[in-house]
Amino acid sequence: MKITDACVYPRPFGDSSVRRMALEAHELGFDSLIAIDTPACVYSEVNVASGVMIRDVPAQEVATRVKRSRETDAIVSVRAGDNAWNRTVLGMRGVHIVCGIHGTDRYAFDHVTAKMAADNGVAIDISLAPIIRERGVVRQQTLDRYHDVMLLHHRFEFPLVLSTHARSVLEMRSVREFSALASLIGLDIPDMEQGLSNVGRLRSSHSAVRVIR
Amino acid sequence: MTSRPPTLREKRRYVLVRTDPAGTVVDQKELYFAVHEAVSSLWGDAAAALIHMAVVAAESQYVFVRCRRGTERELAIALTTVISCGGQKISLRTLATSGTIESLRERIASLQVKETALVPPEECTINGIRYTVCNCSGQKIDVIEKGFKNTTRFFLTKEDLEDI
Repeated sequence: MKITDACVYPRPFGDSSVRRMALEAHELGFDSLIAIDTPACVYSEVNVASGVMIRDVPAQEVATRVKRSRETDAIVSVRAGDNAWNRTVLGMRGVHIVCGIHGTDRYAFDHVTAKMAADNGVAIDISLAPIIRERGVVRQQTLDRYHDVMLLHHRFEFPLVLSTHARSVLEMRSVREFSALASLIGLDIPDMEQGLSNVGRLRSSHSAVRVIR
Repeated sequence: MTSRPPTLREKRRYVLVRTDPAGTVVDQKELYFAVHEAVSSLWGDAAAALIHMAVVAAESQYVFVRCRRGTERELAIALTTVISCGGQKISLRTLATSGTIESLRERIASLQVKETALVPPEECTINGIRYTVCNCSGQKIDVIEKGFKNTTRFFLTKEDLEDI
């Protein structure tokens, strides 16, 4: 079981190098990281997996980029949008994570999309960044959306991943802090452990043979 | 005014916090306002009153934050949401909780023995731009671009500097 922060942005997106982020992640209790647009490597006993973030592009372009990423070992994350967009994205083979659910409207992720995520093994990203950085109404809406996601998660059991979307080592949080912040949205310890270790399963979810009864 | 007898005093807990990035000197009052804002925005005024937070002391990069006994968890969660203090980007790492400041001071002493203070190189050049090294500890190196306009701090490692 590898404890993973599912999304960090090292330089040039942020102010920290990938090595420094790996070093910091090791001290904070993580075994692996998904670093956006960074080649996969191992630093300070931390596995850095390559990640691809797709956002603000039409569906056709998403399909092209996902197809291109399938040849590599990268974890593909796609930014969530409205309900129709999410259904399209969740149906695409090769998409591993749908992120940014907190920024969508309350009907964007419903029981149908939740079931699609569970059936296709696509993880929903719980980003702690808005809980840490935002204040007031925005944070309240984020917590509300995450509570709704958790409700659907307990019903449909789609995979969850947890991330900080850190652009600096100062924005990274320890496993204990993850646990504390996750408790704000009703994520208990087993759920949180599963969320932190789900990334390894995502890669094999599309190729695994499933018994359907 | 006479002080209350010990049995009538409310029990308190002290949380030891480290401020990152290393070498940052935070003003105790500004940190109090930052933590207070984080506590009251996350938990609301009623819970903030129950937590009864106070920044008791700030010694180099270690800070003692006091709270009412039983509210340590709420305080620790709020501390993770502190992202700046006095316009400076910081991060607060909760290290330990105790009933006395004295035991936390012992904890600091044990932590400082482990830390290896190194003499950093004064400056370095990355992609033709000169940077001042502002902190160096173990493999970690923090640099700031030389000049008046850009004072962004970059977080690198020794290997990064060797590769460039």
